[in-house]
Amino acid sequence: MRLLVLLWSLGPLLWQLRTSMLRPEALVAPLLEGNPWTLANYQLVLSGDPPFWRYLGNSTLVGLATTVLTLLLAVPCAYGLHKERGPVRWGVGLALVAAAMFPTVLLFLALLEIARSFGLANNLLSLSLPYTALSLPLAVLLLRAAFADLPGELEDAARLEGLKLGQRLKHVLLPLLGPGLASTAILVFLASWNEYAIALTWISRNDLLTLPIAIARLGGGSVFTIPYGAFAAATVLGSLPLLLLVLLAQRSIVSGLTRGAVKG
Amino acid sequence: MSPSAGAGLELRQLCREVGDRRLLDQLDLHVAPGECVALLGPSGCGKSTTLRLVAGLDPASGGQVLLDGVDLSDQDPGERQVAMVFQSYALYPHLSVAGNLELGLKVRGMAPRERQRRIEATLELLQLGELRQRRPAQLSGGQRQRVALARALLRQPRIVLLDEPMSNLDAQLREELRPELRRLLCGHEQPVIYVTHDQQEAVGMADRIALLDAGRLQQVGSPRELSTNPANRFVASFLGRPAINLLAMEPGRQLGLRPEHLDLGDDGAVAARLLRREWWGHQQLLWLDTPWGTLRVLTAPEVPTPREPRLSWQRQHELWFDPQSGARLRP
Repeated sequence: MRLLVLLWSLGPLLWQLRTSMLRPEALVAPLLEGNPWTLANYQLVLSGDPPFWRYLGNSTLVGLATTVLTLLLAVPCAYGLHKERGPVRWGVGLALVAAAMFPTVLLFLALLEIARSFGLANNLLSLSLPYTALSLPLAVLLLRAAFADLPGELEDAARLEGLKLGQRLKHVLLPLLGPGLASTAILVFLASWNEYAIALTWISRNDLLTLPIAIARLGGGSVFTIPYGAFAAATVLGSLPLLLLVLLAQRSIVSGLTRGAVKG
Repeated sequence: MSPSAGAGLELRQLCREVGDRRLLDQLDLHVAPGECVALLGPSGCGKSTTLRLVAGLDPASGGQVLLDGVDLSDQDPGERQVAMVFQSYALYPHLSVAGNLELGLKVRGMAPRERQRRIEATLELLQLGELRQRRPAQLSGGQRQRVALARALLRQPRIVLLDEPMSNLDAQLREELRPELRRLLCGHEQPVIYVTHDQQEAVGMADRIALLDAGRLQQVGSPRELSTNPANRFVASFLGRPAINLLAMEPGRQLGLRPEHLDLGDDGAVAARLLRREWWGHQQLLWLDTPWGTLRVLTAPEVPTPREPRLSWQRQHELWFDPQSGARLRP
C-alpha cells in the first residue's frame, strides 16, 4: 500500500526523468536497434543562448526577493491581527480570505497597465512586487495561525521582564515561529517560481526571462515538432533547486504544515 | 504621596470589565511588605484577573494599584519590577536554563560579568547548577517550576505574583515544595500574592487568605478567622472539607454546622440513621439520614455508633445564614 502511494506521487516525476533522457524517436516507438538513452536533450538545453543557468538565476532572484519582501510585510501584519480583538480582526480576516481566493487572471490587464505607466517592465526586482501582493494574504493567514499557536503566557513573561515589542519578536516569538516561517517562505517561493502569466507579460527581454517562460520558449526544429525531450530536461533542471530547498527545510516544513492543518 | 499611603501593595476599588462582563468588581486589598496573601476561589472568580492587573498585563477598568503609596497605573509591565510565576511556567522553550535567566538581564543592558554573577548565585540558591545547559523540555515538572522561580527572583522584584504555581505538580511534590517556596518568597521585603483554587495550599502558604467569588471579594483574614468566623454562606461552604452541613431548621434562617462539630450519642436533639461510613485513617466520616436531610459527621475512628444515634452540638458552633442572600445572621 505504501509502495502504491509512493508510486502514485513519484510516478510522474520519474516519467519526466525518463523522457528527458530518451532520444526523440524512442518516445513514440520502442527502438529496434541502438541505445535509446541519450543526454542530448540536456546538452541542447544547456547550450542555449543565454545559457540555462541564467534563467535559473533570474527565477531564484525573483523568488528570494518575493519571499523576503512577503515575510517582512506579513510578520508584522500577522502579529497585529493576532493581537487584535473584535470586529477589526474579523473584517480583516475575511478580506484576506477573499483576496487570497481572488482569481489572478482578472488582474492581468490592470497589472500590465501599471507596469507600463510606472516603467516596471523588464525588471526582475519589480516583478517581485505583484508576486508579493499575490502571496501576502495567504502568508498573513498562515503566520497568524502560527502566532496563535504560541502560548500567550510566553509573551506575557517577556513583557514582565521588560522586553519591548521588537525585542519580544526577535528573542522570543520569531525563534519559536521557525517552522511556520519556513513553511510559509517555501510556499511563497514556490508560487513565485512557478508563476507564468505575469512573468510573460512583464518581461520581454530574452536574458531576463524566468524559468517557466524560458522553458515554454524552447523551440523545436519546426512549428510542427514539439521538443518533448528538451522540455523534460529543462523541467528536471528547474526542479533541482526546489528539491534542494525542500530537503534542507524538510523537518521544519512538515511540522509547520501539519501544525497549520490541525489548528487553522 | 497621599496621606493614607502605607508601605506594601494596595489595591483600591480595582475593576476589570470585558464587554459587558464584570470580571473583577471593586476589589480592595492590602498586602504588607513580606506578607503572603493567597487569592482563593473557584475558577472564574477573578483571581487570575487580579494578578494580571497588578502586573499591568491587562488594563484596569477602574481603580488603582499602589506600591508603597505610588500609583503604578501608568507604568508598563516591564517598569513595575513585578515578578510573576505562571501556571504553565512560561519558560522560553528555545533557550537553555541559563539562557532563560539571562534574556531579561541582557535586554536591560546589564554588563556580562554582573549578569553571570547574578545567574550563578540564583542557580546556586535553587540548586539548579547542574541543569544550566538543559532545555525546558528536558526538565521535570518540579525542575521547570524551580527555573521559573529562579527567573522571577533574579530580577530582584518589588512585588511577587504566583499564578497557581503548583497546579501542574503531583500532590506529593506540592507538599514537599511548599516550605521551600515559603522560605524563598515570603518574609522578605516584597509583598507576595499567591493565586490558587486549592484551600490546603492557601492555608499552607499564606499569612492571610482573600476569598473571591464571581469577581467580588467575600472575606479577607487569617485561615483561622475565615473558618471560625465566616462572613457569609459562600465562605463557610468553600472552606473546610468535608463541607459544612446546611440545615433549613427554621423559616427565614439557615443553620450551618461543620461536620467536626457534630457529636454522636444516645441523647441529642436530632434522631438520625446511619447511611454510610467512610474511613479516612485518622478520622471517620459518617453520612446520616435526619429529618433535615443527609448530614456529614466527622469523628474519631474509635467513637462507636449507637444503634439509634442522636446528634447534638454546642451552641457556640452554630452559624446562621439568610437562606436567600447567604448573608451571615448574627445573634
